[in-house]
Amino acid sequence: MKKLLVTLLSVAMVLAMTACGSGSGSGDGGSSEDPIKIGFFAPVSAPAASADGTSALNSAKLAVELCNANGGINGRQVELVDFDDKLDTKEAANIAENLASDDSIAAVVSGSYSGPTKVAAPIFQDAGKLMVSAYAVHPDVVNAGDLIFSQSFPQKLQGAAAAYYATNELKAKKVAIISVDLDFGSAQVEGFKEELKKINSPIEIVYEQAIDISDNDMSSPVTAAAAAGADLIYSVNYYEQAAQVLREVGQKKLDIPVLGCEGADSFELLNIAGEYADGLYITTNMNRDDENEQTQEYIKNYVEKYDIQPDMVGASVYDAFQVVFAALEECGEDTAAMQKYIAGLENFNTVTGELIRYNDDGSAVKPVQIQLVTNGEYHYAGVIDDPEIIDPANY
Amino acid sequence: MFEQQFMNALAIGSVYALTAMGATLIYGIMGILDIANAGAYLVGAYLGWYIYHATGNIALAFIGSAIAVGALGVLLQKTIYSPILAKQNTLSIIPLVAAVGLFTMSSDVIRLICGPYSKSYNFKTSADSIQIGPIVLIPAWILIFALTALCLLVLWFLLNRTKLGLAWRSTANDSEIAKVCGVDTNKSMALSYILGYGFAAIAGIMVGILYNSITPALGEVPSYKMLAIIVLGGLGNPVGTVIAGLLIGFVEVFVSAYTNLPIPKDAIAFVVLIIMLLIKPEGLMGQKNKM
Repeated sequence: MKKLLVTLLSVAMVLAMTACGSGSGSGDGGSSEDPIKIGFFAPVSAPAASADGTSALNSAKLAVELCNANGGINGRQVELVDFDDKLDTKEAANIAENLASDDSIAAVVSGSYSGPTKVAAPIFQDAGKLMVSAYAVHPDVVNAGDLIFSQSFPQKLQGAAAAYYATNELKAKKVAIISVDLDFGSAQVEGFKEELKKINSPIEIVYEQAIDISDNDMSSPVTAAAAAGADLIYSVNYYEQAAQVLREVGQKKLDIPVLGCEGADSFELLNIAGEYADGLYITTNMNRDDENEQTQEYIKNYVEKYDIQPDMVGASVYDAFQVVFAALEECGEDTAAMQKYIAGLENFNTVTGELIRYNDDGSAVKPVQIQLVTNGEYHYAGVIDDPEIIDPANY
Repeated sequence: MFEQQFMNALAIGSVYALTAMGATLIYGIMGILDIANAGAYLVGAYLGWYIYHATGNIALAFIGSAIAVGALGVLLQKTIYSPILAKQNTLSIIPLVAAVGLFTMSSDVIRLICGPYSKSYNFKTSADSIQIGPIVLIPAWILIFALTALCLLVLWFLLNRTKLGLAWRSTANDSEIAKVCGVDTNKSMALSYILGYGFAAIAGIMVGILYNSITPALGEVPSYKMLAIIVLGGLGNPVGTVIAGLLIGFVEVFVSAYTNLPIPKDAIAFVVLIIMLLIKPEGLMGQKNKM
């Protein structure tokens, strides 16, 4: 009797184990009780990038938390599998290898800069894993293949939008360019100059200086820009240097407006530049005055959870998750179907406004927002939605 | 524009001089390139920020932070550097590696304790700027000029007019002979760390006020640029460090203002260093001309 009981129990255990095994090893990545896992990486601990990395991680956590609070995806909870790439390309490659080889990961979101993201993208593409990049701008990210999408518009496009706005709205005639000496800066400057030619702009570039990412001393380039008679400074910088340009202009009482870019779209700029931030125009992808319920909800939820204002980086990460959630809801964990769904998305509502569609290379087509800092806050100043300018295929 | 750029250069050169002074004083006595001095600059800036925001008194922030970070320097000297140097046949790279480790740790500790986002001093003066003829002066610059001058004066007095300074100079010249002659070389070493780390803290606060921003990455640029300055100045020579800091400040500003060379600004310091060392291998002020 005892032997029979042992035999029966053994058979029952084997059957149970087999059933579990077939569940977790199935092509759709898990049983209905298992959470859907989404991989994520951001530069959280690199001192030079930890502010953006933290904003990215905060938004990723918020997106997953709200998704789960609303019942998850098709009744399944979502689990965030997050990594810190330390702004290191070797670390990013290791993370990508880990995530790519893990069958339980349904898709990946990059919350990192171009360097780590462009290293990770081909690894995911080769492994057949879908990745949506939140704000990396280098063209090599989307050029890795059809499984890679980007929420960010190409930088040349943003430069072209700035040229359009400087010419037609700000009516500038003499522009000084102070830009960060990285692809981020040089590509926007290139787009700016090309658009000036294209639209026969009367703008003359009277001074141009590329500056180190680590250089906070803007006294020399701003003095030179003023001496060259600039009536507009085009500051293509991240928030730290953009704030220093504003401080120099403000403290020295130079009556020169400043036009910046999405790198200056951060509460950090408002803190550092203080009252000198007022009057700054930026090209960006987030309109804080958007009446879109999703945008206002995101801002409210972010402030409630973290007690700080969200920035462009965080909003772009949040959007990348919304795209992945929608694809998972529609297609399950079938990567090919998800790819087809995302590539075919049209007029998708995101917190950074309407995502019109994805271009053939996987980069987002969406309007360029112009924000103006007034009373220490970013507010709507305009939008550039001319299809000729906002189509990434034109760059 | 020239006059304005001259003042811009003087301000940034003064910041460089004071930033590199701490590492110079430590090299003068210990003979090690203390990269961790950039960590003291970072910790000093944060400590100053907390003191300023708790008390609203900027003088207290400078003094309190300089004393606390100076004390931290002595602690590190007693527990890490001196024991390493006391070992027989210690390779000169070992204290350097220890210093790099301490510096890296300081950035991470600050990030973990104080958070990744920037902190702003928001130090206000009655005027944004002062116009003197064609020159616009920013009040933070006046503070920088005054503090740099004051620090150098205190340093000169301490090293040249006190017994402690005499002991420091004799230890810097030859610690073995100084010891035989009855000089307390341990005290000289401690003085180096108090002054070296204290100066770094003052420089960190000044830069925090100047740019209204401190982040966990604050020490990264000084960690390598101070090397160029102290080597250019003649390794361990305070006067040489001031001249080298000003020289690099002037070259950076004028190259940036009047040319569009495709080399990063931070690289200019090292280009100047290489050219100068080819002409004068012992640096601007050689070992024999110490202050």
